[in-house]
Amino acid sequence: MKLLTHNMLTSHVKGVTKGYPLLIKATEVKVNEVEFNPKFVCRMIPKLEWSTLVQAADQLGHREELPGELVPDYEKNGDFLKKVHRVLLEVEVIEGCLQCPESGREFPISKGIPNMLLNEDEA
Amino acid sequence: MSSDPSLLRMSSQGDDVAEQSSNTVEAPTSSSSTETDPTSGTTVTIGATVPTGFEHTAAEEVKEKIGVDAQISKDRGRIYFPITTDKLSQVHLLRSVDNLFVVVAEYDHYQFKESKEETLSELQELASKLPWTNALEVWRLNRTLKKKKGHRKVGNTTKAKSNAEASDVAAAPEAVQHELPEETSAADGDAKAERTPDLETCQQDLDENAPGAKLIKFRVTCNRAGDKHSFSSNEAARDFGGAVQELFQWKADMTKFDIEVLLNIHNKEVVIGIALTEESLHRRNISHFGPTTLRSTLCYGMLRLCKPQASDIILDPMCGTGAIPLEGAIEFSESFYIAGDNNDMAVNRTVNNICHIQKRRADRGSPSGLPIDTVQWDLSNLPIRTSSVDIIITDMPFGKRMGSRKKNWDLYPSCLREMARVCRPDSGKAVLLTQDKKCFAKAISRMGGLWRKLHTVWVNVGGLHAGVYLLKRTTAVFGQTPEDVHESRGRGDSQMKEKDDKEVS
Repeated sequence: MKLLTHNMLTSHVKGVTKGYPLLIKATEVKVNEVEFNPKFVCRMIPKLEWSTLVQAADQLGHREELPGELVPDYEKNGDFLKKVHRVLLEVEVIEGCLQCPESGREFPISKGIPNMLLNEDEA
Repeated sequence: MSSDPSLLRMSSQGDDVAEQSSNTVEAPTSSSSTETDPTSGTTVTIGATVPTGFEHTAAEEVKEKIGVDAQISKDRGRIYFPITTDKLSQVHLLRSVDNLFVVVAEYDHYQFKESKEETLSELQELASKLPWTNALEVWRLNRTLKKKKGHRKVGNTTKAKSNAEASDVAAAPEAVQHELPEETSAADGDAKAERTPDLETCQQDLDENAPGAKLIKFRVTCNRAGDKHSFSSNEAARDFGGAVQELFQWKADMTKFDIEVLLNIHNKEVVIGIALTEESLHRRNISHFGPTTLRSTLCYGMLRLCKPQASDIILDPMCGTGAIPLEGAIEFSESFYIAGDNNDMAVNRTVNNICHIQKRRADRGSPSGLPIDTVQWDLSNLPIRTSSVDIIITDMPFGKRMGSRKKNWDLYPSCLREMARVCRPDSGKAVLLTQDKKCFAKAISRMGGLWRKLHTVWVNVGGLHAGVYLLKRTTAVFGQTPEDVHESRGRGDSQMKEKDDKEVS
């Protein structure tokens, strides 16, 4: 699971109103090289929940100086964009789980695939 | 074929199209020309089979990547375009093309004789009058290209496909695009794609420089469509083949052949060509099949339809083996793809297919990572933030190969609703493939507040007539239109829902 995906995932357990963001508990993390595309990163940043991304990267020990808040003119900062690229697309959680911040329900991640299926009573 | 004189009239037999003459064999409308430019090579006409319904998309891709205008054949599922031989390898990289062939000659209005005997006899005469030279040159060049590539043996493509298709699918093999009643004379009664992949491994080593030196084996495949012909495709293939054999002294072999001569007859349009692909390119990305894996050319067509932009978040909520998002991640790689399914096997196969491609890229020394992720989820309750997705693209269960008609009745509306929720209002789009057109039409008619139909492409999937629907998300915010308020009230209470349905309709 990449952190870009994590940025969009939310807990949908019945009754939960604050299911985002999910907490990451990783037991295996990999870094996989993905071709860098600055245009992609630039345009993606406004679509993200920035604090969630930073928090998640932190939880995985891959924060690497990402600022807590977006700096102005980040579009022109190549180094910054590269760091964001890495955290969005290259860092992957292979094993672990995602935890709903409200209900505590854990969704397992196995072979990089988060299993978000709910039981009948949770849906 | 539409007649644009500037493009295809490269006849080497003189400019007159002698249709009326009853004694001599008519001159072709066009053929691969004899012009040779020392730098770019000979100019020839390439024919390509593409998924029916996506001819225009394929022509767009040809224009974009090869830089020439393609003609769309009256015989659906085929396009033609001219190239200089230096572009041949690029042609093989086209993503919307299933099979390729080089045109030997093409007749727009072939005048068939009244009787079968006369017609077949004329076909035989035709063989020796055709301008084979350039097409054969291209065939030879093509073989050297393939050898250089170290042609990857995808041994499980066609075999897996034939095993994987559920038994209740119509008998027509997937590669057959034609809608008119037609027959193919292929020895086993199957279309090209069904030829066993073992063929590749048995490929004879040919001396490319002197094709006459080592015995060349060939076969003729005839595709005939139309109801006014006096002959069958088998007869045409047989007689034409006989003449070709006499002409070149090749050996006829239906299964282990070096050259496949194509005789395509669609009403009055006759095209003679030489095949440039042995097996259909259409399953190129998938190494782990599922029961309903969509061919990559169809996936590509669907993706092109929604025009992915840089940083678009693209979801396939019923990804199966991941064919669509994987094709996207490779070919429209400036977007990000999330493939999801509720089924264990499906998500595992998707991940395996992704890994397979990544490994292939790593082996070639390129950065292997792809902009794609896989999640296991329930489509009717997506664990995705509202209004965060730009494009939804998926192959919805047909009810024939997977699921059931009755299930679709409930599934489709809840799918469309949930997809509307996660999709960005106003700019969001959806491209949905389904064979259950009735169910889809009903479901979409109740979603006018959330989805607007932009365009429909009619396609053929595994012999089934299906529709690819391009939808635009309305500006309405989810949770406020009558549809979704109604439905969410009714959820879980079926009696209330029925009452609501009556009120709405």
